[in-house]
Amino acid sequence: MALTLNVNGDRRGFTADPVTPLVDVLREQFHLTGVKPVCREGFCGACMVLVDDRPTLSCLMPAALAQDCEVRTVEGLAANGTLNPIQQALEACDAVQCGMCFPGMVVTLTHLMKATPGATRDDVRSALTGNICRCTGYESIVEAAVRALAAT
Amino acid sequence: MADVSATMDFRRCDAGDKLRGHTRYTVDRYLPGMLHAAVLRATVPSGRIVCLDTAKAARMPGVRAVVTAADAPGKIGIGIADHPLFARDVIRYDGEPLAAIAADTFAQAQAALAAIEVEIAPVTAVLTMAEALAPDATLVHPGWRDHEILLEGGAREGNVAWEATVVRGDVDGAFARPDVEIIESAFRVGRQNHVAFEPRAVVASYEDGRFHIETSTQVPWGIRNATARLLGVAASQVRVTVPPVGGGFGLKFDLAVEPFAALLARASGRPVRLVNSREEEMLTCLFRENAEIRIRSAVTREGEIVGREAVVLMDCGAYGGEQIFLTTMTAHTLGGNYRLGAVRMVSRAVYTNTAPNGAFRCCNGVYNTFALERHTDEIAARIGMDPLAFRRRNVLGDGDLGATGQVFEGDVLGPMLARMDTLRDAATPPRKLADGRLFGRATTVGTWFVFVGPSAATVNMNADGTATLVTSGVEIGSGSMMQSLPQIVASTLGIDPEKVIVRAADTDAAGYDVGVGGGRTTVSLGAASLSAAQEVRTKLLKVASDMIEAAPEDLAMRQGRIEIAGAPGSGRTVAEVATRAQAQIGPVSGTGAFTGAGVPAMPGCVAGHFIDAIDIPVFAVHDCEVAVDGETGHVEVLNYRVVQDVGRALNPRAIQGQIQGGVVQGLGYALHEEVTIGTNGRVNQSGFETYRVPLALDVVPVEISLYEGAPSIGPLGTKGAGEVPILNVGAAIACAVANATGKRVQELPLTPPRVLELLLDQKPDLSLPHIAEDWADNLVRPHGTTG
Repeated sequence: MALTLNVNGDRRGFTADPVTPLVDVLREQFHLTGVKPVCREGFCGACMVLVDDRPTLSCLMPAALAQDCEVRTVEGLAANGTLNPIQQALEACDAVQCGMCFPGMVVTLTHLMKATPGATRDDVRSALTGNICRCTGYESIVEAAVRALAAT
Repeated sequence: MADVSATMDFRRCDAGDKLRGHTRYTVDRYLPGMLHAAVLRATVPSGRIVCLDTAKAARMPGVRAVVTAADAPGKIGIGIADHPLFARDVIRYDGEPLAAIAADTFAQAQAALAAIEVEIAPVTAVLTMAEALAPDATLVHPGWRDHEILLEGGAREGNVAWEATVVRGDVDGAFARPDVEIIESAFRVGRQNHVAFEPRAVVASYEDGRFHIETSTQVPWGIRNATARLLGVAASQVRVTVPPVGGGFGLKFDLAVEPFAALLARASGRPVRLVNSREEEMLTCLFRENAEIRIRSAVTREGEIVGREAVVLMDCGAYGGEQIFLTTMTAHTLGGNYRLGAVRMVSRAVYTNTAPNGAFRCCNGVYNTFALERHTDEIAARIGMDPLAFRRRNVLGDGDLGATGQVFEGDVLGPMLARMDTLRDAATPPRKLADGRLFGRATTVGTWFVFVGPSAATVNMNADGTATLVTSGVEIGSGSMMQSLPQIVASTLGIDPEKVIVRAADTDAAGYDVGVGGGRTTVSLGAASLSAAQEVRTKLLKVASDMIEAAPEDLAMRQGRIEIAGAPGSGRTVAEVATRAQAQIGPVSGTGAFTGAGVPAMPGCVAGHFIDAIDIPVFAVHDCEVAVDGETGHVEVLNYRVVQDVGRALNPRAIQGQIQGGVVQGLGYALHEEVTIGTNGRVNQSGFETYRVPLALDVVPVEISLYEGAPSIGPLGTKGAGEVPILNVGAAIACAVANATGKRVQELPLTPPRVLELLLDQKPDLSLPHIAEDWADNLVRPHGTTG
């Protein structure tokens, strides 16, 4: 069926089965390959996007349910190419390794910074429970988030 | 030969795009006209193919190509070539490929798979090593004698795919001494899944009579050569290029999906994309192998280890693969850490009808270190010596002999243990914590190595003052290609590391390389890059010498300039000199090559080994404190400390990132990552729900001390630092839990049910009846004889 989505400020129509996972539409119709389908069952968090500002697992969300919502992916978080504060902190802390989980990490932490500006180190760790990283052992990511929070 | 230090605080330049979601991994590559492929896999662990008919599938909508065993005549392997691309007549594991299809859409490819008609006659499966080693066991490879032998010397028979032995000294004599205690321990570990976030993925094309394989791999040259062998074409007909890789950990040290896509691309004339589903990754990943270990030692009351013998069984699954090579490593891991009077060890890679195992960060080392360190604690307890004092007394030092008779150079482990003493809390720890949980602590040591081998590099000096580094190295996330290598080139040429452009791996552009793994990137590719950069430096200095009118030896390269040493601001910029050179003698470039030194071992000590000694040993000391909940069996890690031998730390922060990440991966292995195989021969853990990897709330910040200065043939004194952090995590946790509970920890992972069984004394002592009582009875043929 014909669907329309608002993604990173662009509005675009396309044809798809309404239950197509949002992650596949974002990657294949919108060419936003930053969104990563790693586990496809809602555990890893690598496909996390903001739907109306709420962190949402795009592998579990049927595309049709995202109509009339504002979808924002990791590609839409660096305004005019400038890294946002959490992206800057992650780069400064040299936190990135293979990088596959970072699109989801960035989405989760960007939301945390906005929703809970007073978040503590433990709040950061709790917020990351739904974002798995296989490379870093998390510490540098937590450290970067704590730094970014302190700077705001 | 450099005027500025190669040690830098250089941030990786690929982070920005990774944080923006712009990095295009192999899974993100889409080519015009690209087809989508899927692989039909066996759903039984053992059987005979009666019929495989693809005629109907080939007529399904959108289908462009179908390939089967008939299209791939070759076999691959390490030591022996036992592994075909598709099951031919015989199915040896659940998940084994039977056919592959390319279609316009992935859904069409899957629908066509369902239309392939398959009839399979069941054959009894052997699912465990105990079953495989039973006297009347069904053979996984009834034709094992016919496998082509690629390396002579390994003993083989029936379900024993490969056997390697090491014997040094009079072990029987040592065990017969009247003044020794004999301590025997047994251990068992399960498999570990890498869970690399990017699954194995490939896009293949067939252009101008050659295959172009774009793939997520650690071993571009390995893929080139193995694909050619399987397809029966010349290796020069295969070109492999590698985009950024989304995690390797050893999973991508072997071929996986590439030949299917290559065959389908040739058959269809179109680019073909093939990406493993997460379920395929979980069920058929080249796991860290399950293993069973028996170790015995003869130790004097004073704590001298006069004799040691061991039997190690490693499950290779349906095909030999990496485990055949890993039989070599037991001599250096289980036979490592300590001075031994006499020693004999046998490692056997055993065939079972299960998914093939493979390489995983510190492969073989992780479980052998667990076994060795727990055994060491059992020895210390028996002779009434403090376990730390026992280790201080016995760790390898300068001039000591390794198991294969190699002579170790330098005192490293001793000073590292002393360094750990300064990190550890000096206060006497409580036996019980305020909340009633049991407190445990352990300090363990580990021996690993750098898997050196051949590497090549070219440095092209550009007229704009940048340098392009061309190698077959792959950036898998560790940062070696993004940090250490550019730092090495930059320091040699006195330019900013930002000005070193690192070319992505392309087998058409750079020379042979073993691959990115085994801690070898900074060492082997680094040495080749260093020597290439030094050639460029020499050429530039010669041209600059004419320009500046000073002798080359009086010149220095720093801050992007070539100037008279001691006169900052004199001379010319590197760009000016490079431009002049380009006009005068042509563009400046340098090449470099490296391989292992070949450290000697004692003649006759080893049989069936792929290497006799380790060129660059790497040591680690880990210390941890745990709290064990007596009610639930849950183990909480309270503190974790690492002293790691890094030779020289070129980028300390990057190494610390590797240590934190490696330790956490090890905590998963030690505590909750569990792979089990059902009676149907299938891995039970098919996704993230059932396979529990560490989460942010599980981990602690690791306290890290980098130990520099140990001898190394690595460039600038470096050793590999990314692989070894996982080495003694299982050991440290197991020893700490044994310390907390007073129970005999013999298995990993220490899940709450397993710990509760220990606490409630419901866990019977581990029995391994398929390991013969007499060491020699475990051998296919006596050590030192030929078959």
